[in-house]
Amino acid sequence: MADGLRVVVRASVYAVLGGVALIAIATVVSVLGPLLALDLYTPPVAAWWTVFTAVAVQGVPFLLLGTVVSAAIGAFVPERVFRRLLPRNPALAVPVAGLAGAVLPGCECASVPVAGSLMRRGVAPAAALAFLLSAPAINPVVLVATSIAFPGQPKMVLARLLASLGTAVLMGWLWARFGKEKWLRLPGRGTPSAHATGARAFLTGLQHDFLHAGGFLVLGAAAAATFNIAVPRSVLDLFTGSPWLAVPLLAVLAVVLCVCSEADAFVAASLSAFPPTARLAFMVVGPMVDLKLLALQAGTFGRSFAVRFASATWVVAVAASVLVGWWLL
Amino acid sequence: MRRYGPAALLLLTGGAVLRITLFGELYLRYVQAGLRPYLIVSGVALVLLGLVTAVLRHRTPGPHEDVHHEDVHPEDDGGHGGHEGHEGHSHGPAGPRVAWLLTLPALALLLFPPPALGSYSAGREAAQRAAQGVGAFPALPAGNPVELTVAEFSSRAIYDSGRSLKGRTVRLTGFVTHGDDGTWYVTRLVVTCCAADATTGKVEIRNADDDALPADTWVTVTGSWRPKGRLGSDAAWPPVLDAATVTQVKQPADPYEKP
Repeated sequence: MADGLRVVVRASVYAVLGGVALIAIATVVSVLGPLLALDLYTPPVAAWWTVFTAVAVQGVPFLLLGTVVSAAIGAFVPERVFRRLLPRNPALAVPVAGLAGAVLPGCECASVPVAGSLMRRGVAPAAALAFLLSAPAINPVVLVATSIAFPGQPKMVLARLLASLGTAVLMGWLWARFGKEKWLRLPGRGTPSAHATGARAFLTGLQHDFLHAGGFLVLGAAAAATFNIAVPRSVLDLFTGSPWLAVPLLAVLAVVLCVCSEADAFVAASLSAFPPTARLAFMVVGPMVDLKLLALQAGTFGRSFAVRFASATWVVAVAASVLVGWWLL
Repeated sequence: MRRYGPAALLLLTGGAVLRITLFGELYLRYVQAGLRPYLIVSGVALVLLGLVTAVLRHRTPGPHEDVHHEDVHPEDDGGHGGHEGHEGHSHGPAGPRVAWLLTLPALALLLFPPPALGSYSAGREAAQRAAQGVGAFPALPAGNPVELTVAEFSSRAIYDSGRSLKGRTVRLTGFVTHGDDGTWYVTRLVVTCCAADATTGKVEIRNADDDALPADTWVTVTGSWRPKGRLGSDAAWPPVLDAATVTQVKQPADPYEKP
């Protein structure tokens, strides 16, 4: 009884204190805000805030989906399930995991936490990384979007599928052969889901993973907005002439623009002055390497991993796009 | 605050998402309409998760006994030991520190929702025309004037070998942007997924009496198509509308067009 009373009293004290603090902040901000805003809220700054919040808002549902799946894997799926599903030999497990990427609908924000929790559950890092790369690029939602953006060009869809899957599998194999454990901070050693299972572990894992990845999503959104405002896309028109410049240029553009993988086909389609292979490179690199992803990966797997992995992936993705583009397009 | 930090962050983020989706249409400034149900579900889930987290934290006894239940295992910090100084990975009872960045977009959405992109963004990008070939388009819907999007009008003006715009009165809505030599355009941004991928579509307006409208004024223009250049060529771009009437309007709920 006394306990209940104490809880009620404490809750109301918190509510009053919190409420007073909020009102104070709101008052100060709403009085000072407009004064500052007049000076600071120039059109570029306003556009920066809009793009920044847009990338963050856009990422929230996908990030939540990814963290729900990853927390569920951590809390409810025993390790032996993956040992049975995936071939023992990493060289075989990599392509299987790459193909499995087709079942996770969503953009790249969702795949990072899922790959992290797969590793936590004992899946070979090489296989989890192949999944990480292929999931946002070859799932049905993205492929349908690509076919809508390039009407009457089914070869573009096929080329995207092949080049993305090829890059993912090759990167998995490269990691299996050359990767060093010490680059990779195996995720989740410190998170509760590594220790416990069940509903409570699910909730704590979900809360932790979402907040953690969410923070890095915001960091990536800020970088994306900065480049979006600083680099006008029309600068590119200078480089449309030479295919040797166009391919790496669009591949760099995919990194800095951070367009989500469900939309990048439409952006690629609008870059109509560029050769098809360059546009393919844009769509293959985008879901695998961009600033937002780099921030998310650095947060989940450690910075030394993210930098090495992202740069290697970029090179492999460009090479795969050139090969597939030369063959198909 | 340390104890309830994660719960507060989740509530704040969830609340911000719900404020722009469930309690208004502000989300249309940032993402496309189809994302709304997912955003609402996410917002509700985040709020619930925040409440559950608060209750769980409340039930757990003081910080010393926490060790067995919460994500504050001292040995866990040891698990990150080799990577000390990796920012954002210092876990305490307050959760991952980098998570506090979430307050930036959340507070922005709750207190000062950033405006929709307008003439500044449109001016920075060369207007894009849809990538497509010349061909016959389906017949225009009935109606006089017929309501068209800026993108649809442009495609038909430049690529329609059936010339379906000929002889029709059309109505376009967009914001004003200015060209170099006194020309002005009705402009609309096209957003596929979120405002980061906005591209620009525009139609040049001629014969309007009132050509002194400031940039970013939203207008509805009624008029007829003036053919220009050969179909599909650069000379046909941007398309031209001979205006009969120009009316100022309020910014529509969805400031962008879909591709």
